[in-house]
Amino acid sequence: MTPIQEFIQNLKETPKNLRESAMRNGKAPETDRERSQSTFHNLFLHLQSVRTDRRSLRFTYTFGLGLILTASFVVLTITGILLMVYYKPGVELAYNSVKDIHFVVPAGRFIRNIHRWSAHLMVLAVFLHMARVFYTGSYKKPREFNWLIGLALLVFTLGLSFTGYLLPWDQLAYWAVTIGANIANSPREVTDALGITAWFDPGGFQKQLLLGANHVGQESLIRFYVLHVAVLPLLLTAFMGLHFWRVRKDGGLSRDERLPAPPARIGDRDVEVFAPTKTYGLMAVVRGRTPVVGRAPEGSVPSWPNLWWAEMAAFMFTIAVTLVLSYFFDAPLKEMANPAIPENPAKAPWYFLGLQELVSYSAFMGGVGIPTIVLVGLGLIPYLDRDPRGVGIWFGGETGRRTFWQSLGYGLISVLGLLVVTVNLGWLRTWFPTIPQIFIIILNPATVIVALYAAWSLWVLRRTASLRMSAVALFTCFLAGFVVLTAMGSIFRGPNWHFYWWPSQWPTH
Amino acid sequence: MSGDPSRPFKWVTVVCSVVTVVFLVAAAVRENISGDWRGNQQVFRAILESKAKDEAARAAARKLPIEIRQVAVPALHTVDRCVSCHLGIDDPRMTDQPNPHRTHPKKLLAIHRVEKFGCTVCHQGQGAALNFQEAKAEDYFWDYPLLPAKYTEATCASCHDPRALPPGSADKLVLGMKLFEQKGCNGCHKLNGKGGQLGPVLDNEGLKTKHEFVRASLRGSQTNWNWFGEHFRDPAGIVAGSLMPMPALSQPQVEALTVFMLSLRQRDLPAEYLAPDKIDEQYARLHPTAPDGAELYHRYCAACHDTGLHSRWDKKFARFVPGIRNAAFIRTEDDECLAENIREGRPGTRMPGWGPKAGGLSEAEVGALVAYLRTSAPAMNLPAAPARGDAARGVRLFAQECAGCHGMDGKGLIAPALANPVFQKAATDEFIAQTVRGGRENTPMPAFGRAGFTESQIGDLLAFIRKWQPPLQQARSQQ
Amino acid sequence: MSDSPKRRDFLGLAALWTSVLAMGTALAGVMRLPKPAVQPGPLRVFKLGDPAQFAVGSVTRIESGGFFLFREEQGFHAISSTCTHLGCVVALNEGEGFACPCHGSRFSSDGSVVGGPAPAALPWLQIALSPDGQLQVNAESSVRKGTHFRV
Repeated sequence: MTPIQEFIQNLKETPKNLRESAMRNGKAPETDRERSQSTFHNLFLHLQSVRTDRRSLRFTYTFGLGLILTASFVVLTITGILLMVYYKPGVELAYNSVKDIHFVVPAGRFIRNIHRWSAHLMVLAVFLHMARVFYTGSYKKPREFNWLIGLALLVFTLGLSFTGYLLPWDQLAYWAVTIGANIANSPREVTDALGITAWFDPGGFQKQLLLGANHVGQESLIRFYVLHVAVLPLLLTAFMGLHFWRVRKDGGLSRDERLPAPPARIGDRDVEVFAPTKTYGLMAVVRGRTPVVGRAPEGSVPSWPNLWWAEMAAFMFTIAVTLVLSYFFDAPLKEMANPAIPENPAKAPWYFLGLQELVSYSAFMGGVGIPTIVLVGLGLIPYLDRDPRGVGIWFGGETGRRTFWQSLGYGLISVLGLLVVTVNLGWLRTWFPTIPQIFIIILNPATVIVALYAAWSLWVLRRTASLRMSAVALFTCFLAGFVVLTAMGSIFRGPNWHFYWWPSQWPTH
Repeated sequence: MSGDPSRPFKWVTVVCSVVTVVFLVAAAVRENISGDWRGNQQVFRAILESKAKDEAARAAARKLPIEIRQVAVPALHTVDRCVSCHLGIDDPRMTDQPNPHRTHPKKLLAIHRVEKFGCTVCHQGQGAALNFQEAKAEDYFWDYPLLPAKYTEATCASCHDPRALPPGSADKLVLGMKLFEQKGCNGCHKLNGKGGQLGPVLDNEGLKTKHEFVRASLRGSQTNWNWFGEHFRDPAGIVAGSLMPMPALSQPQVEALTVFMLSLRQRDLPAEYLAPDKIDEQYARLHPTAPDGAELYHRYCAACHDTGLHSRWDKKFARFVPGIRNAAFIRTEDDECLAENIREGRPGTRMPGWGPKAGGLSEAEVGALVAYLRTSAPAMNLPAAPARGDAARGVRLFAQECAGCHGMDGKGLIAPALANPVFQKAATDEFIAQTVRGGRENTPMPAFGRAGFTESQIGDLLAFIRKWQPPLQQARSQQ
Repeated sequence: MSDSPKRRDFLGLAALWTSVLAMGTALAGVMRLPKPAVQPGPLRVFKLGDPAQFAVGSVTRIESGGFFLFREEQGFHAISSTCTHLGCVVALNEGEGFACPCHGSRFSSDGSVVGGPAPAALPWLQIALSPDGQLQVNAESSVRKGTHFRV
């Protein structure tokens, strides 16, 4: 061939060669080996293991919550970047830019709605995911650290939702953040009661850091914006990567090791499988258990295409639900922020309303005390409950199921009873108007409910002699408390934070 | 048989993807095909075509683009999209068309070009919106809903002096201004720095949002104009515990006053928007010329003092109101005393100070009021006061003869408060002595001189009454 | 020739720790950025004009300053209108005290807490006479409850 002919030949073959050079496999896989390779060789897909245990794919095991979260995050990032094209983070401009997004930006109204509902869905899913991981015991060794990473992701998700809440700069946003910042300031309640605020003021420090000033204003808006579009997404992405990597290294999704793996089909026979422990021989020895490539009969299936379809299903489900919500319900936007006219009632976003209900009794306990206790408590769970039994089974078995329902009942009754008392009779300051604040910090509905729940958990511990059961009891109580307090704060609190059965009964002010 | 584990997932994916596509298409249709403004523009295009005089004009009309239209006025910080439906607003040919295609009435847009003013500066409403409900923004999360047509005159006052406008422009507003002055509202309400202090200041009443009003008893639309209407009909029905007296008003009067309230706006418009008569009005306000005492009396005093010729008992305030134009009273006061009373009022009672630092009247205006009061009677030469006598005897006399009306604590029951610091400052011994001696005609105050009081008794009373003087004054008067 | 292991180690350790020190110092310096050194906006000291314009027995709400100005026989006092619970604006019920719309905190007319979740009384603000004779309220500085300012 002459050089010119070679040149032309190469040019003609370029599309095929381009495809084959970019994609190392190039064609749809037909054998199991090729399926394994397609996952292993691909930058995006090799985050997944090459094979997936069948039991991990069961919908009723995980409900796809982790995938829903990931999908929501992707949707939020994309819609968020689109919104950034028009949103302007200045106090004079922000509100009108959001109005313009709603009215005139092409697809603006829809995209803004998607962003808002996706955010709410993500927060809901993160709580459900944490509950699922807890109840299936998927935090036990070697997955303890991944649980902690997950807690960090919970905090970042709430942080993202909260920072995003301020950006429209409307009455809802402004007053919710005023409350949030004053909750950050609530250590003052303790330092004032002890008289040490002049020298040690973590509350004031936190508030200054958050707001950049003593009140919500331009400084706060820009800080929240930076956190919302840059700092927190980067942190979330980094920790998400860490979270997925740990899932891989810890042996994939947890599963019930007692159950035999489903029989494998070899030719025309079903073959029982055994020996779930395996080592990975291809690279340096990795601590722990990891799935093995190329050995079919142990109840695993190739990730391509099985896991891939499960992921697609979760993604499309998330997107479909979000779009339906976004079509019918507009994201709220009230009047422009007005520091002279407080919203009445001024409410935090729904996931903080339980805390706000507690805060209405004691700012410190509701805003700092309880969240710290809860986060530290959650973080300690994998290190206190090290019993390896029951992993991969919802509630860990029949005892667990019973404990769950009993704890749910106890948790609901305690919190409802306490609310009935506070609504009808008041609390310490109603009966003793001049009581020093320190007594209220120590003895208030928040501390009482924690004590009641802890007492129940200890009783379950004695009765079952199982740390796991007492953990289930405590977690379930808190879950019940969270749901009831959130409902209380959202539905039954009206102007002046008085109790009303329905919003239709609220007086106009 | 194990089955293909991905089948259920494929089903879910199919269903959800179809739902996704359906809603994406639905949203696209909703945004790009439906929409009131599109329909309106298409109708308008047809109207243009029907009004076209020749084929070229008809072709041009057919090519009218259907797009979002807006008027951006940076000087007013506003972007108004009303013209997306109201395309014919400044087209003089459209007077025969129904709304939203009709030309703006009264040829106003010839002198208020849309490009310079936009729409919301006069009409309020949510200019950014693209549908009527959200543009009207009534009972919506928007601070300034569209003003009903009958109240639109209110905004003329932002740039004009309404009284300088040609008749037929802002008649309701001018009527409202007149009613406000005639009914003496300034007696309790400060406006532009002048007025009483019993009610709230009204300077920015038109820009108050609905959240700044007590609406617990407000029926109907939650707007400030509805609130004004209800308030003028029955103040205490809307604001529980309100003591505002309200004369009966006809419906047109209520509307006129409402327009006036809506016109009270402290808004910083750029100078190029202010009409020359507005600037003149502002100048005149700062430099009032030749104030008319009678008019001032009517505006600021009449609400409580009525004609001023008789004292009265105010049922609402449960308070004695002296007759300040009573001839007998005016005769015994000199101009300086009258001015001091007006300037400083009676702290602790419903009579506020009216001087430049209190009620906001200038010295010239105070002087004009004094001159008006003086028309009741010229000042007489007061006879000398007796020397201050024995307060111990004075207290017994006071308890017998005076406490019944003036109160033993001097705070006044059905007669003026003698213990009031401004009374003590303004009233001279001669004045008090003459009032006791000669009484006050046309009031219940008897002439104790004729009833047998000696001068020394009057001196004793004087000594007692002066005990209510504030300490600093006492020191001065003793020197 | 013998390479003394200790010497090599020392260099490695020195390298590690000096780089940690360098980055730590840089980080510490950078961490100072988010805490504001100056407060944005004008100083919240409000000049209210001639004291004589406020009648004895009057209450004036100074919205821009976030406080209520009282004048009584004993003198002036100013009470902050920012609820000590979570920062909402309290309303004044004349004669009864203050009430906060957000969580129902109630204060007596001298600012003390009488109900609701507020942890501390409404602060009394510092009042002074400015050099040009105007009544001046410093919303950034508080005084003991019961302090009146006499003109």
